[in-house]
Amino acid sequence: MQMPRGRYQGWYLVYATATYVSMALALWCVFVYVPTEKVQGIVQRIFYFHVSAALTMFLAFFVVCIASMMYLWKQTLWWDSMALGAAEIGVVFCTMVLITGPIWARPIWGVWWTWDPTLTLTLVLWLMYVAYLMLRADMSDAKRTRMAAILGIVGFVDVPLIRWSVEKWRTLHPKPVIVQEGGSTGLPPSMMLTFIISLTACVFLCFFLIRERVVLAQSRHALDGLRDEIENALGG
Amino acid sequence: MRSLWNRSTSIMSNSRLFVQQVLALLAKDLQTEWRTREMFISMFVFTILVVVVFNFAIGADPEAIRRLAPGVLWVALLFATVLGLQRAAQMESEEDCLQGVLLALGDRSALFIAKTAANMLYLTVVVVCALPLFSILFRIEMVAGIGALGVALLLGMLGLSTVGTLFAMLTVNTRTREVMLPLLFLPVSVPLTIAAVYATTDIIAGKGLADITDYLTLMGVFDLVFLVVAVLVFDYVVEE
Repeated sequence: MQMPRGRYQGWYLVYATATYVSMALALWCVFVYVPTEKVQGIVQRIFYFHVSAALTMFLAFFVVCIASMMYLWKQTLWWDSMALGAAEIGVVFCTMVLITGPIWARPIWGVWWTWDPTLTLTLVLWLMYVAYLMLRADMSDAKRTRMAAILGIVGFVDVPLIRWSVEKWRTLHPKPVIVQEGGSTGLPPSMMLTFIISLTACVFLCFFLIRERVVLAQSRHALDGLRDEIENALGG
Repeated sequence: MRSLWNRSTSIMSNSRLFVQQVLALLAKDLQTEWRTREMFISMFVFTILVVVVFNFAIGADPEAIRRLAPGVLWVALLFATVLGLQRAAQMESEEDCLQGVLLALGDRSALFIAKTAANMLYLTVVVVCALPLFSILFRIEMVAGIGALGVALLLGMLGLSTVGTLFAMLTVNTRTREVMLPLLFLPVSVPLTIAAVYATTDIIAGKGLADITDYLTLMGVFDLVFLVVAVLVFDYVVEE
């Protein structure tokens, strides 16, 4: 039996440092560096993390879909842990979007919530991936991974359709200001820089957490194996 | 050339076998249903119940009732689908019926197609019986737009049956499948529900097929996408 390698070295340190540094930098940029927006005031600063979290959420759900496909193909536990980790972290980021959104909307739109397409899409996604996690918690080991993989694929296929259908509603959500038609940006350079740093921080955090989740799932699996071995040894 | 000929004849005989299997499975389901009428009665009574209960929920204003009618109709159909599919999946899991059926099949997607078709038929019968009552209770004139309404209903019911059947087979092994099926089924069918409700609203307001092509396209794409995806992944759903 090999001794497990030290927990806090190697790639862990690299990921952790990158996440820590980018997150600290993003916080400094959002709260200190970037000027306050003239029309919306101080509350506009929530934009940097709100939009970053939203994009990271889509990235995480995309990872769920890819990992689910890979799991059905390769049938290795690693891909399943990856899908599970990405779904959990995606739901966390989705929750963050759903909390920061109303905080911004209350002073700007005058309401906490409106059934605008983008808001509706986020809410439906949250419901769908919470159901995904519930399905995983509900099944026995043998079938859980395969059913979850199918749901991970079907769920992501549904995203463009949901987007299309909710577009039918009157839209209130601000048009994308980051990249506009013709490739020019609607943001002044300092805000753009802050946004890019926030986005990087969120993406780093997302991948750092997913990786930690995969390591945890593997440890748990190894532990189950050891427990079975001990039981067999005692029983025999 | 000869091998190509052989291959094309084998594909043809395979597809004939596939159709035969689908029809046999469908006949089996319909025969069971004809003997018990269990699914139809529960779905139909439930649909009527939803319509009546929503009447109380909306209040006495006839204008409000008329405006909300399409939503009520589709909510009733959504829940009727859940109800019917739960029963269908439960019947298959009793006494390992599913294993027996799977052993007899070459291509397992035949089972999926047959189950979807059966559910579609139950829904159609329910709608045909419930629509006149719905029209009377909600005081909605439907005869004028019945053609357009039929198209919207067919596309909507096909989507509901496709997604519903996939998830019913997926959740049949969970401990709490009564809860899991609606939890998965309702969010995924949101696009279909939106398009169906809006299309029905427009039809009742007197618009023709040409005015609601947007919604019909959305429903058609939804049906097609999920039919393809479901047939592709169905092998993994029923694999032991």
